[in-house]
Amino acid sequence: MLAELKELWRFRELLVSMVERELKIRYKNSLFGFLWSLIVPLVTVVVMTLVFKFFLRNATDNFSAYVLAAYLPYMFFQLALLDSAQSVLLALPLVRKIYFPREILPLSLIVSNFIHFVLALVVFFAYLLFVWIRHPQVWPFRLEMLWLPVLLAVNLCLVTGLGLLFSALNTFYEDVKYFLSVTLYVNFFLCPVMYFSEDVRYSGLIPAQYRELVYTLYHLNPIAMLCTAYRKVLVAPGPILQGKERIAPMALDWGLFAVCAGVSLFVLWFGYATFNRLKWRFVERP
Amino acid sequence: MNDTPISLRDLRKEFVLSHQGAASIKAALLWWKRRSFERLEVLRGVSFDVRRGECVAVLGRNGAGKSTLLSLLARVYKPTSGTIALRGRVAPLLELGAGFHPDLTGLENVFFNGVVLGLTRREVAERVDAIVDFAEVRRHIDAPVRTYSSGMLARLGFSIAVHVDAEILLVDEVLAVGDYAFERKCYAKIDEFRTGGGTILFVSHEMSDVRRVADRCLWLSEGRIVLEGTPDEVIPRYEAGYGPDPDGGTATSL
Repeated sequence: MLAELKELWRFRELLVSMVERELKIRYKNSLFGFLWSLIVPLVTVVVMTLVFKFFLRNATDNFSAYVLAAYLPYMFFQLALLDSAQSVLLALPLVRKIYFPREILPLSLIVSNFIHFVLALVVFFAYLLFVWIRHPQVWPFRLEMLWLPVLLAVNLCLVTGLGLLFSALNTFYEDVKYFLSVTLYVNFFLCPVMYFSEDVRYSGLIPAQYRELVYTLYHLNPIAMLCTAYRKVLVAPGPILQGKERIAPMALDWGLFAVCAGVSLFVLWFGYATFNRLKWRFVERP
Repeated sequence: MNDTPISLRDLRKEFVLSHQGAASIKAALLWWKRRSFERLEVLRGVSFDVRRGECVAVLGRNGAGKSTLLSLLARVYKPTSGTIALRGRVAPLLELGAGFHPDLTGLENVFFNGVVLGLTRREVAERVDAIVDFAEVRRHIDAPVRTYSSGMLARLGFSIAVHVDAEILLVDEVLAVGDYAFERKCYAKIDEFRTGGGTILFVSHEMSDVRRVADRCLWLSEGRIVLEGTPDEVIPRYEAGYGPDPDGGTATSL
């Protein structure tokens, strides 16, 4: 694996140009170009805020900020995986003609999606500032936000590992693509995006003695853990309303987060190892 | 400096032919016991050296393994067994415009392709004028390459490949696309490349081209070298025809 990494480093310029190309192609024939990368998260923020304010009236303060803090990472996760899973297959004509480290194909899509995610986070911070100007009760920027780079790093490891794995498998079995979109859809509801992780901990449907266990199992899903972590880090904690009940927000469980980080590192190693084992067979795909 | 930039030893390549088309997990699970596949030996032990500054032509009928040989040298395939030793940067011209993205402009594609061939972006920037001028596409360089004619694509692809300071050029029948004037220019460039110590391995069905540029010919048939020598020795015998039809069909030129 060290040799593969060395080779990848030798071709780092190619990765940079691929990412550049990816960012350029996406908006190549559009008038606003790169502005779309800001417009899309901006519209998401506005729509989410309005929907949660007027239709799904959850009275928890700042509910749309909670939703966005998990929704934006989830979207990154989903788009990066779906894009990268297709990457090798779509580039087969190129792969058949020219040598370069094949992992650059999924990596370039993961990196370009990550850049879009970071831009979306910028919009998110602007939104927090905007809310503060209108309701200057709680200053939204906190010291905990310094953990954000750690979360991003763990998130990137997880996405890269899975992206490499699925792009290699999808080259031989296109079922992977469909499996992936269904799984990502189901997983969306298994992650605390439209609800709180506290809702799981204090769910009335689960007998009291099992709640702790269910909460732990729930967070063994690394994406669910990441969604919770993003929320705890990005949004100032406030009481959560569950029906008429007020729940005190739970602190981020760093033990569970460490498990998530470990799993992500393992996935990265496993994904890359699998990719390397399969990559010479891409061109000979039947 | 090493005197044999290309050195092959007992190179073998076989492909697995599947009769089921694209694979699916369902097929793999259901039919894993009676999967029908067939091995196709395309190269059956090829060994040769190419000296520095030499230009070697590979002759052979369709399916003889010529394109597979060049693809192996370009590191697109991994050999089934045997070794390939390449010393120096390789510029493969396997299919013109293969690495071009239709929606990007000519200039953006020059950068992208230069980097794929191993240059840094700064090195491409230093050469971009020479590349564009040689390809004679200055007026169209800011237009997307999907608007280019095949001749323009061929010129741009060739121009990039000869400007990356490669030591080894692999050419697979791509010079036939340009017009006469450009072809002359290509041959002039190839001569210049060789006087600079560059090594060329090329495939052509055009015997006049082979006579003009090759120092040595390798006649490939059914995955083996059947005759090796100067163009004057090999071409007459090749043109006179050689025995039976090779069995492979055209499956090799993927």
